[in-house]
Amino acid sequence: MAITAKYKIYHLLVLIAVIYILLFSIFPIAYMVYGSFTNWRLGVPEMSFVGLQHYVSLFEDYRFYNSLQVTFYITVIAVSCEVILGLFLAELMRGGSRFFRTIFLMPLFCAPVAVALMGEVIFYEGYPGGPVNGILNMIGIGNIPWRSSPLVAPFTVTLCDIWMWTPFCFLITLAALEAIPKELTEAAVVDGASSFQIFRKINLPLITGPLITISMFRIIDTLKIFDIPFVLVGGGGPGIATETLSIYAYKEAFRGFNMGAASAISVVFLMIVSIVSAIAIKRLRGYYA
Amino acid sequence: MPDFLKLVKSILKYLFIIFFAVFFFFPLFWMMIVSIKFSIDSFTMSVIPFLQFNPTLENWEWELITTSAQNIKFLLNSTTIGLGSGAIATLLGGFAGYALARYEFKRVGNLNILTWFLSLRFLPPIALAIPIFVMMQSIGLLDNVIGMVLIYSSAFTPYSVLVMRDAFRSLPPEMEESAFIDGASVLKTLRVIVLPLVVPALAAIFMLTFTFSWNEFLFALVLTIEKAVTVPIRLAGTVTTVGVLFYQLSVRQLIASVVPITLGILVQKYIVSGLTMGAIKA
Repeated sequence: MAITAKYKIYHLLVLIAVIYILLFSIFPIAYMVYGSFTNWRLGVPEMSFVGLQHYVSLFEDYRFYNSLQVTFYITVIAVSCEVILGLFLAELMRGGSRFFRTIFLMPLFCAPVAVALMGEVIFYEGYPGGPVNGILNMIGIGNIPWRSSPLVAPFTVTLCDIWMWTPFCFLITLAALEAIPKELTEAAVVDGASSFQIFRKINLPLITGPLITISMFRIIDTLKIFDIPFVLVGGGGPGIATETLSIYAYKEAFRGFNMGAASAISVVFLMIVSIVSAIAIKRLRGYYA
Repeated sequence: MPDFLKLVKSILKYLFIIFFAVFFFFPLFWMMIVSIKFSIDSFTMSVIPFLQFNPTLENWEWELITTSAQNIKFLLNSTTIGLGSGAIATLLGGFAGYALARYEFKRVGNLNILTWFLSLRFLPPIALAIPIFVMMQSIGLLDNVIGMVLIYSSAFTPYSVLVMRDAFRSLPPEMEESAFIDGASVLKTLRVIVLPLVVPALAAIFMLTFTFSWNEFLFALVLTIEKAVTVPIRLAGTVTTVGVLFYQLSVRQLIASVVPITLGILVQKYIVSGLTMGAIKA
């Protein structure tokens, strides 16, 4: 009897959490998938079935293609810079002081909105310029239209993302590097290997696994980027130059009130994220065993 | 020769470290400087108080004393939402994490349950925001602190489940076994024997959840209008409604950042496993 009671309580403990999450995550998503096949509009109570109409029109929607392009562009540049820079910093800070490590980590804790607003102040373009343009003027490069040019704005967003998330890559890479047994490097030093050789032949192969894992987390999170472009450049501006998939879906839903169309965008977005996530989850499963 | 090379190398190393320390700290430093400048100085390149510009506490005074009545509302909303969602996520996560650490769910498989929790982290928030907006509207919890607590706590429970499961697993099971033999129930064992041992992990995941909900923007943007507005929304509103008031913005930005940065530094040890849902332990 005691055993069945125990059995029940363990199931109950997990079930509470599962049901709680189902209610607020899975159920809404199911509703959204249903909504994407209807002409659901905010404030209009009747919904009628329109089939695949929203999905078909996405294929001819230049804003959808634009948002795909912007999102991938930001993701590829930001993630590769973050991972490489994180690796460089970790190599640099191995055994380094706690003080600098804490400073390096600070951006990670800031709210993305705060990061975007700091960007707004730092990259201020008006006369006599924020600090960045001020310094650029001083050394004779001149003003760069960080936020007002559609060509530069995606780069500015990427830069803010790099500022915020490089610490994350740095922290994990550092932990992976510090987990490498000292004997390996010591033996290599005795054999007369240069520090670059040690890095390439010993450290790098050993931390490839963690680096891939970090990249996956960063790729998935950056695909979802919303806060920084939304706040820094006024809702994905100038024009639609930084309109990521999340921002496009948000605008469709809460500015255009086309919940049906916005749901269709979100479903496609969800599928894209799911493909990357499936690969990530397959890798990460091993960590829990 | 090696000595000289070594010296050059370590100087180079420190130059790089200082360069990146400046890179990461400069924006925060600049906000501090702007916050103690008169509005007329906010766009100048001066950085040294007294020498290059006249420092003032005017902006802080305005934000903390003159308009404190309305500012407190946003801070209070964010604090309540953070505490509420932190409490629920820690509680539910602790329960589920304990069961997953100590019991083998044969039919479903523990690894599958864990993977399911992990997969939730990858859901794009915008895909949830659209239906949740309608859901909250229909149950009357739009622009309501309780609604925000429900959403954030369910979003962050998976983190807490996975981190807490790790914490429970690191404890030796012998003590619990002897408690069971003495006839204690699962809940009593959990309360009296196990929980006191995982207080650090519980505190850390509570603070992490608090930080996550303090910083969250998208759901707050969609689900709050006036009553339940949180700090990030207030921050973002500084720019869109009144133009660019850098001196005011800098004060608000610093007030908003102080809380998560302090908590973040306190739970540094758990931040990685928190952010990666226990997949990576650093």
